[in-house]
Amino acid sequence: MPEARDRLVAEFRRLLGPSGLLTGPAALSVYARDASHLQWGTPLAVALPASEEDLARVVALCAAAGVTVVMRGAGTGLSGGAVPPPGALAVSTARLAGLGPVDAVVGAVRAQPGVLNAAVSRHAAPHGLHFAPDPSSQAASTLGGNIAENAGGPHCLSHGVTSHHLRSLDWCDAEGRPWSTGEPVAVARGLDLRGLLCGSEGTLGIVTGAWLQLTPEPAAVRTLLAEFPALEAATAAVPRLLQAGVLPVAVEIIDQAMIATVEQAFAFGLPLDVEAVMIAELAGPAATADAGARATTDVLLGAGARAVRAAADAAERLALWQCRKRAFGAVGRLSPNYVSMDVVVPLGQLSGLVREIQEVRARFDVKIATAFHAGDGNLHPAVHYDERRAGDRERAHAAADAIIKAALRRGGSVTGEHGVGLEKVHALPWQVDAVSASLLRGIKDVFDPAGRLNPGKALPAAGPAVRYAAIPSRPTSLRVDVDSLAVTAPAGTPVADLQEAVLAHGLWLPLGLAGREPAPGLDGGGTIGEAVARLLEGPMLLARATARDLLLEAWAEAGDGRAFHAGAAVAKNVAGYDLLRLLCGSGGTLATLRAVTLQLRPAPAGCWGWSWTAPGDGDAGGAPAVAPAGHSGPGGSVWLAALAAGCDPLAGLQVVIERSPAGVPTRVLALGGGTQPLLPAGSGGAVVEARRANVGEAAALLSELEAPGWCLGSADWTAWQPVAGAGTALLPPGPDRFLWQHGPRVVWLPGCAPVAAEGWRADIAWRNGHGAPLPPPPPGSPLHVLRGLKRTFDPEGKLGGPGWLTGGGDA
Amino acid sequence: MRDPRPDTRLDGRRDELDALLRRCVQCGLCLPVCATWLATGDETMSPRGRLLLLGDLLAQPADGPAIDPTVSRALATCIGCQACTAACPSGVPASLLEDAVRLAAPSGPAPAAVPGVLLGRLDEPAVLAAIGTLAAVGRGALRALLGPRWRGRLAGRRHVIATIGRLVGSVPRAPRSDRELARCLDRLCGHGEAPTCALPAAAAPRERVLWFAGCAADGLLPESSRRLRDLARWAGAEVVQPAGTACCGALAAHGDQPRRAEELRERNLAAWGGAGDEDGVTALVTEAAGCGVAIRGYGERLPAPQVDAIAWLARAGDRPPFGAVPLKVALHDPCHARHGQGIVAEPRALLRAVPGLVLLEPGEADACCGSGGAWGLRHPGLSAELGERKARHLAATGADLVVTANPGCLGQIADGLASLPHPTPPVLPLGDLLWYAAMRGAGDSRT
Repeated sequence: MPEARDRLVAEFRRLLGPSGLLTGPAALSVYARDASHLQWGTPLAVALPASEEDLARVVALCAAAGVTVVMRGAGTGLSGGAVPPPGALAVSTARLAGLGPVDAVVGAVRAQPGVLNAAVSRHAAPHGLHFAPDPSSQAASTLGGNIAENAGGPHCLSHGVTSHHLRSLDWCDAEGRPWSTGEPVAVARGLDLRGLLCGSEGTLGIVTGAWLQLTPEPAAVRTLLAEFPALEAATAAVPRLLQAGVLPVAVEIIDQAMIATVEQAFAFGLPLDVEAVMIAELAGPAATADAGARATTDVLLGAGARAVRAAADAAERLALWQCRKRAFGAVGRLSPNYVSMDVVVPLGQLSGLVREIQEVRARFDVKIATAFHAGDGNLHPAVHYDERRAGDRERAHAAADAIIKAALRRGGSVTGEHGVGLEKVHALPWQVDAVSASLLRGIKDVFDPAGRLNPGKALPAAGPAVRYAAIPSRPTSLRVDVDSLAVTAPAGTPVADLQEAVLAHGLWLPLGLAGREPAPGLDGGGTIGEAVARLLEGPMLLARATARDLLLEAWAEAGDGRAFHAGAAVAKNVAGYDLLRLLCGSGGTLATLRAVTLQLRPAPAGCWGWSWTAPGDGDAGGAPAVAPAGHSGPGGSVWLAALAAGCDPLAGLQVVIERSPAGVPTRVLALGGGTQPLLPAGSGGAVVEARRANVGEAAALLSELEAPGWCLGSADWTAWQPVAGAGTALLPPGPDRFLWQHGPRVVWLPGCAPVAAEGWRADIAWRNGHGAPLPPPPPGSPLHVLRGLKRTFDPEGKLGGPGWLTGGGDA
Repeated sequence: MRDPRPDTRLDGRRDELDALLRRCVQCGLCLPVCATWLATGDETMSPRGRLLLLGDLLAQPADGPAIDPTVSRALATCIGCQACTAACPSGVPASLLEDAVRLAAPSGPAPAAVPGVLLGRLDEPAVLAAIGTLAAVGRGALRALLGPRWRGRLAGRRHVIATIGRLVGSVPRAPRSDRELARCLDRLCGHGEAPTCALPAAAAPRERVLWFAGCAADGLLPESSRRLRDLARWAGAEVVQPAGTACCGALAAHGDQPRRAEELRERNLAAWGGAGDEDGVTALVTEAAGCGVAIRGYGERLPAPQVDAIAWLARAGDRPPFGAVPLKVALHDPCHARHGQGIVAEPRALLRAVPGLVLLEPGEADACCGSGGAWGLRHPGLSAELGERKARHLAATGADLVVTANPGCLGQIADGLASLPHPTPPVLPLGDLLWYAAMRGAGDSRT
């Protein structure tokens, strides 16, 4: 085959130019490895395409020649995702590093896959925005890699992982054909290819460009460093913190072995005589951050911290994070090799797992240094070894496997953010049941039937000898895990029952679907299964999440009755493709949900509801004049514009603001038009000190909350409203739109008609929700893939669906 | 001899290198600060890639195959800027990459493109001065012959011509006379002409310092070098420049001439020996960042702690105030200052102390400009590419003026800016800008 190989290389070279294709021994050696210390094969060559079109052409050439393709960003992955099998073409995205202009109106930017993670935030900083996912490798790791692995980072606790921050993906399939997930919108019902591609480790498709969701910078950040003489006290403090109603943006723990390592490397001044230090960060308007910092300090001191101090200034804060984010690199000072683990457990199991890790350390006589994303229940034990010492590597891996099994026994997952890669293929069957495994392989076959995209990664090991996990017993009654901030319930549980049960513990499901009294457009009697399957939304969509962001675990039955289980009751989980995002919003066309686990949040102590009426209602404050897009208010001050040109009368504008127990406003939960209260009485804790206010008063209040743009959800992950036209143009206000401006940011709410019964709530929750057919796929969608997914889950078509999906009609 | 075998060059240091190399955990945090990776996207031209290749070489048996040209090129393109060392959480030392470069370099004379005799004598001020003069003439002639894009046209030529183009293009320039400098900055600032154009020394010096200007400063930018000493005197220094000093030895060391480097070091130590015995010498102040690193490397035999001139100025607390310079200024840190000596805050503190001055930070501030002393002459194409990339970032700040503290960076950045297709800001030595600010301040206090 050497001639065929030479011909192919010549073709690549013709396409990419002499510097765009590397075939020398130097490149073949370097590109065979990444940050994982795993090795497999020598690549055929390394391609460095400089345009998205060339990237697709390279993939098409590989398809024609039957060559496998392994994508590579900066090679910072820790699970071996970029390690090529023998003879694969390694395709680097290093020359695909274009960043588009920031759309400050909706907070979005289009990036090519080779853009460095940290470069996005630098690019967006002048607009007061940043890209929230912040893996510790962010200085070097690329977006392509972040998306492929569904990367997390310390700040995922409040902001969510990479998949929460994608608006749309442009991608090519194994044949090099270009596709798109559609307009860059935040929430789209239907089969979520965006969610499926994210975290698929380059095995389903190749991302050629992505519209990213940017997050407003908080006005104030308070970073605390707590010293814990006992590690277990530190881990036990995490759920207590959240139960106390405090939601930090990040909670990290570093154990004593890791403290010693980073101190040797960076001499930050961490205490060496404690078993753990915790970094907790609070963000938001200054009053909120300060109140959060005070509450956090109290809780941590009460939970056994010896001392809690705040970073004095931005420089100290930065140094502290540098020290944390570079911790793993520093491990090289202690041992030449390490197994970098990534297990994640329900928050309530954190202390138990830490105990077991100590036992493993003793039993296998290995050195383990651990840094945790504690707020997520995500641990990164680094098991040290020296590959040149006989038996050392095997012993380290045996210890690592013991830790994985311990995490799985506690309802966890083998990987929270690093990915399965090559490294955890063997461990995946310990977590995944046989039906799920076959569904995962079925999905792979739909996207890449010839198996040319990154073979040997991400999927569970297969074969007659492989024993898959049993399905955990399906819950038959509602179960609240207070320590883990999760609720598990049969799919038929009414949302109101669920909400009531968790509120009793000071928690709530921040879905915005509310109480028993049905408001127009809100089905008070809906079930949680329906809410998930149909992606029902409530008025709190703006400030909160959709079910896609909250669903952690599901028990379901495929169309042919095969029962399977997906996910785990953990905050982040990248073991296998993201079946949950696919099921969520699929309207029951792929599988029938039987039970679900959802993430809970501390319930607000109460809410303030403001409503006021606009001109025509005799409101002296009145709405300011119509402003052009992007125009900030007088003197940059906060102002609101209720724009309803041609609408008479405008029924009203409402805003619901959550407040903390101390009475500090924490975030805006909802806003919208209509005379019906957005939050029906009894929902969401203790609404409502409702009052009418004029625009001036509301503006003053929002001004008091500081932080331009903050109100639309920086303190939690945010679902922005869909914006047409790739998010670049603001449509002029009209009868069906509603414009909200706060500081420099403008968001329009589609379908926000000024008549209550047809208000925007109705648009989202009612029209989309009940009995509505699955919306047709956006232009640029691969219909054959969507139908293939349908066949994989529901081979006999028993679950029905629109004609374009079942193959019985036109798209 | 184009195919050196690794083992002959290891001098029995295999184990030592191997132990250092094993610190690398392959995390990749060195990639985004490496200029050659940023410019090419080719990981063989990244620090991690080079270390992996060094590991391959060390793993080979003594009688292993010859080094592949792609491997030696990857190793040889390391500029030695030390950005990776500063970024490395595992503490892999830059010396390891220097060893790799040495391993990869063909033995014998330097590449034919630059006459070895020339490369070997770049550490002599007289040679540099001659080059400076020739470059000024050559640049004029090339502009007249080939137009403003002459360098681009030469770059596509054979190696020798490209290298000469590079040499001619990247020789640093700065206003010769104080009056010329003041006029240039007056014009930029929109100032009227200052009544006098001199910087008075402090009436009573507070510190006595040994001063080491360095060959490039002496040979190519003698007036800027003198202005920097004026600044030091203004800030309270008594400047002592003993006779008999020589090149710091950095070029010789990088050019694989350890003997010559040693010889130069001994000459310098001897020259300082007398002066150092005098009372009250608090510092050995160095101008060029590269010299600073080399001299710091002399170790404990130094008569006083080595301090970079800019760092010394920054710490000279009770100096007179600067006058206003209402300009947007983009700063480029020389690698051997930023990474080699950790000098980051000092120039910024000085510039922030200048009233009206707005300091701008360019993108990829960690990355080398691609000058690299003799490196740029060995890799003219890559060097020009890096210079242009650096210039694009500096120009993108929208600055009125670019400043940097190293002669090599100065020439490289001026050359890069000149190659951009749009109007670009002028470049000056950081010391010249500070001299001007101090001079305006002194003028203000007199009036």
